[in-house]
Amino acid sequence: MEAGSSDAVVVARVLRGDVEAFRDLVERYRDRYARYAFHMLGNREDAEEALQDAFVRAYRSLGRCEDPERFGAWLFRILVNRCRTLGARRGRRARTFVVDDTALLGAAEDHPAGTTAWREEIDRALQQLRGDQREAFLLKYVEDMGYDEMSQLTGVGVSALKMRVMRACERLRELLSEVYDA
Amino acid sequence: MRDEAEQDIEQIARELRVPVAVGRSLDARIMQAVRRLPRHARFGLWSRLVTPRTVTVTPLVWGMLAATVAGFAVLGAMHASADFHRAAKPIASALFPKPKAAASSQRVQFVLVAPDAKKVAVVGDFNGWDASHAAYQAQQRGGGVWSVTAPVPLGHHRYSFVVDDSVWVADPTAPRVTDYDYGMPNSAIVVQEQK
Repeated sequence: MEAGSSDAVVVARVLRGDVEAFRDLVERYRDRYARYAFHMLGNREDAEEALQDAFVRAYRSLGRCEDPERFGAWLFRILVNRCRTLGARRGRRARTFVVDDTALLGAAEDHPAGTTAWREEIDRALQQLRGDQREAFLLKYVEDMGYDEMSQLTGVGVSALKMRVMRACERLRELLSEVYDA
Repeated sequence: MRDEAEQDIEQIARELRVPVAVGRSLDARIMQAVRRLPRHARFGLWSRLVTPRTVTVTPLVWGMLAATVAGFAVLGAMHASADFHRAAKPIASALFPKPKAAASSQRVQFVLVAPDAKKVAVVGDFNGWDASHAAYQAQQRGGGVWSVTAPVPLGHHRYSFVVDDSVWVADPTAPRVTDYDYGMPNSAIVVQEQK
């Protein structure tokens, strides 16, 4: 497979029966979407399950991808739904929050010593948000999406999303206030 | 105050934008799962024949096609006229039978008895396994019976009920299939065109 193939070209190859071409799409989007799944679900194991689930479901339904050129956006929508379902299914379990240091690429190099604890506090606070607020916050501030785009992706109205983001910001600041003050 | 809050949030977001790595074995696991699924375009030629595609035709080719169709129409009319008395049915209707209105989906009623449930949704490959899909939210009908009637595309599908956003329940009235990827209880349904 040539390196510069567009998503539509790769999707067409898979639809013609070239299963191995799907690996190109996996390599293209795996890392890009791992961050969202990791922050939504709180640990690497669940994030990998959500990613695998999303890719497999995308493969199954590939014939129904209306705009193969925007395969990435379509896959992200599946991933967002998978994170919701997995998050809800596991929400009732007592969650033991484990900070997965090894999942943070370059964190040790890019940040001065001592920021690991700060980063852990952020992860911990993020997991204490309500799922819908965490989702809205991540889409807005981490994935850098506009409200209209978020609304199309989630099926939630813009005003409700704005409210969720505002509540998430307030709650995060509240939870992290002690760390700020220290 | 507002600036301070925005700075705080931006600082948090900056930390969260750091890339997250996943295990290198993930690719292999995904590809292994994908290889176990039916290959797309399994039927090769048939798939090409039934897949819609855009065809670009030059004006010259259009003209030739139009002339050919007109020629056949004239021949057909002459033939029909000559055999008018013994023709069992008009040539036009033999060549171009009235197409039946083909439906691409059917409305299917899903029913689950779940007296303690607060919410029941249907998920399946027909709605992207999305438990929040508005068209597939079941309504309580009394006596713990939940039901929803929703469109399902023709063909074979897997589906399940999701109770209270957390518990997956296979349809007790439908054949059971094992979702070998994730081990969740799924049911099977075959939706056919109504005759």
